[in-house]
Amino acid sequence: METELRNAIRKLLEEKTVDVAIGYGRVGVGGAVGAVFVTSPDEVDQLVWNNECRQNLAVHLTRPEIKALGKIAIVVKACDARAVVVLANESQIKREEIVVVGVVCEGVVKARFDGSNGEQFFEKCASCVEHAPKNVDVLIGDEAKAAELDAKNAPTAATSGNQAKLAKLRAMTSEERFQYWRGEFSRCVRCYACRQSCPLCYCNRCVADKNRPTRIETSASMKGVFAWNLLRAFHLAGRCVSCGSCAAACPAGIELDLLNLTLVNAAKEHFNYVAGEPGVPPLIGTYSLDDEEDFIR
Amino acid sequence: MSSETTAGAGANSSAGFEPKIVAFVCNWCTYLGADLAGTNRLEYPANVRIIRLPCTGRIDFNLVVKAFEVGADAVLVSGCHPGDCHYTAGNFHARRRWKLFRELLDTVGIDTNRIYFSWISAAEGAKFQSLVTEIVEKTRAMGPYQDYRSLVAES
Amino acid sequence: MSQIITLEQLKHTLKEKLASGARVVAPVLDGDMATFKPITNVEKASFEPRACMQNSIKEFFFPKHETLFSFVRQGNDVLLTDAADFDVEQIVVGARPCDAAALPILDPLFAWDYQDRFYQERRAKTTVVTFACNKSDAHCFCSAVGGAPDNTSGSDAILFDLGDGSFEVRAVTDKGTALFAGKTSESDKTGAACEPPKADFDVNSIAAWIRENFSSPLWEKVSLRCVGCGACAFVCPTCHCFDMVDEGSYNKGKRVRNWDSCQEAMFTLHASGHNPRGTQGKRQRQRLAHKFVIYPDKFKSFLCTGCGSCSRSCGQMFGVRPCLEALDKQGVKAQQ
Repeated sequence: METELRNAIRKLLEEKTVDVAIGYGRVGVGGAVGAVFVTSPDEVDQLVWNNECRQNLAVHLTRPEIKALGKIAIVVKACDARAVVVLANESQIKREEIVVVGVVCEGVVKARFDGSNGEQFFEKCASCVEHAPKNVDVLIGDEAKAAELDAKNAPTAATSGNQAKLAKLRAMTSEERFQYWRGEFSRCVRCYACRQSCPLCYCNRCVADKNRPTRIETSASMKGVFAWNLLRAFHLAGRCVSCGSCAAACPAGIELDLLNLTLVNAAKEHFNYVAGEPGVPPLIGTYSLDDEEDFIR
Repeated sequence: MSSETTAGAGANSSAGFEPKIVAFVCNWCTYLGADLAGTNRLEYPANVRIIRLPCTGRIDFNLVVKAFEVGADAVLVSGCHPGDCHYTAGNFHARRRWKLFRELLDTVGIDTNRIYFSWISAAEGAKFQSLVTEIVEKTRAMGPYQDYRSLVAES
Repeated sequence: MSQIITLEQLKHTLKEKLASGARVVAPVLDGDMATFKPITNVEKASFEPRACMQNSIKEFFFPKHETLFSFVRQGNDVLLTDAADFDVEQIVVGARPCDAAALPILDPLFAWDYQDRFYQERRAKTTVVTFACNKSDAHCFCSAVGGAPDNTSGSDAILFDLGDGSFEVRAVTDKGTALFAGKTSESDKTGAACEPPKADFDVNSIAAWIRENFSSPLWEKVSLRCVGCGACAFVCPTCHCFDMVDEGSYNKGKRVRNWDSCQEAMFTLHASGHNPRGTQGKRQRQRLAHKFVIYPDKFKSFLCTGCGSCSRSCGQMFGVRPCLEALDKQGVKAQQ
């Protein structure tokens, strides 16, 4: 698969279809896998594909430093591919100007807290039912194998991985949940790694950075961290594709993706909405006359 | 306590506790409904602080969080009935947004029993009166929103 | 002869300190993550040397969020109230040598043109008890910036895990001596730290390269994968940039200072809209130049202890070590 991926990218660069390919390479400490930006066909051997390819590379699509490199090809997993679709739906990228190279993903392993590779797969992978990326221009890997994995996970998708964690949390009392998050958020330093790592947090100026007037306090005080984490999660309502980049990036190890998952579930349950489908209008910003209003007096 | 919190003496005990209610209301319906309650001499508790905004569609979810930060014990968000929005669809947008936001608040453990939503038209002075009275009574029974207050106190 | 203390005696010493009203900070485990936290129960703490911590001890000297003063309007006047003094004794136990080493590096900064009483008071009232490292990982590079697994810089006492439920205690300062006075027993056992971590780059040559190559295109190239999240600065024991803001309302509020990071675009954004560090390459250059050129020029020490926290917590697998390695390989050595 790695060879196939390299060949596909080499061809795109040789034929000058693209100027830069964003893929994965062994760039970090001890060969840890991170993004590489390949601009010449001679460099494609840097590209790797394995279960350590954690990052959602779609985060780079809207960065001015990367756009300056020219026309882009990007390597995506299935969850990342959905982020590309949302970016196109929200007019942040011109989809036809980007070559999306999808790779069938059999799950990625979490990094341990010390940065080394763990054996454990991401929770999102346990409930993944989309191993082959959709809406891509080039697909690499075995689709039959992907379908097999999809079928294997399907029966437990709603009850495994992060869904199980969220269900456990939701089974607590409101008071217990508050105390849980209070403990978790107490480690939040307001570094905004969650925001910067998220492909869909692309605003040039985040509302948290607005200071005339201040919308939310910038302090990492308890009220500041509650306000920020609620804001971040809710601005992704109906948009989050559950790639888990926020939680993976958090230097304080807060499971931020559980907040997003709540909204992903709510979008599905109440509005039958799944983010990352091409051409579908955004969930928030549209409405239906039939929306539920059981909570309104 | 936070500089913003002006909880009076006794606010930490339920005895003598006067709840603070923040009501975010739209300019065209609920605000006029509240006004009608006033002109009709329909008495409602003075615990409610009304904040008038153009439309429920304008009511940023941050405002609810902000209300708790400055010491609210309950929040009411109220606007025009569906179909009556002055801006045609502001309340429809709000309805969808609040449905999702309530779920997030619930996961974080913020007490959704302290957040109320209603449609109150300019003709429904009596509904405003009865709803506000009910909210104040229920909040009084629940006591001060200690969780959020302690959070603010820690800040 | 050496002085040793048993784990039980160490815990007992901390219990006594807690009982006397002192604030004790120690690593607390949550899964594989260890966080320095103020503790009230010593049994909750973990007394094991480790290379990786979720946070640095910096926040107990220079908190992530700190009130400087509060204000309230009274008629036409504004009444200002200074923040209370830090008047408790603080014991930080379990610090890594590279964490503690950051303190003497930061001391001159907080006592330079402005005497920062907030930092200085905490520093004066805190005793830092370090655990010598018994293992290093691939992120560690203390040896490249003048540190070592048994470096005592910044520590008041350093403990060596003897592996039998006891530690060798080496007091470094009077505060360290006082903390362990009468708590230790004599022994012929001595502890030793692990081998220094390896780094095959020379920081001085890289610093010289940085000095000469402000406009090198390499900065943009090596920083392409950095998304500017700033996590590196927040976990760094030496990064100390902050932002001061007023919080509250027109009538009352407070002035606070919060950590900030040069990796965020907002950091240098001018009111005009111009940003002198408009790309991640320029921001990364600032970070590295500050650590290895600007700070040494001013305060005679690198603003880096080689702890590796930045690269451990970087979601994009970047950080100081990967950046130094890239500059060394593609800059320094390419020139030779």
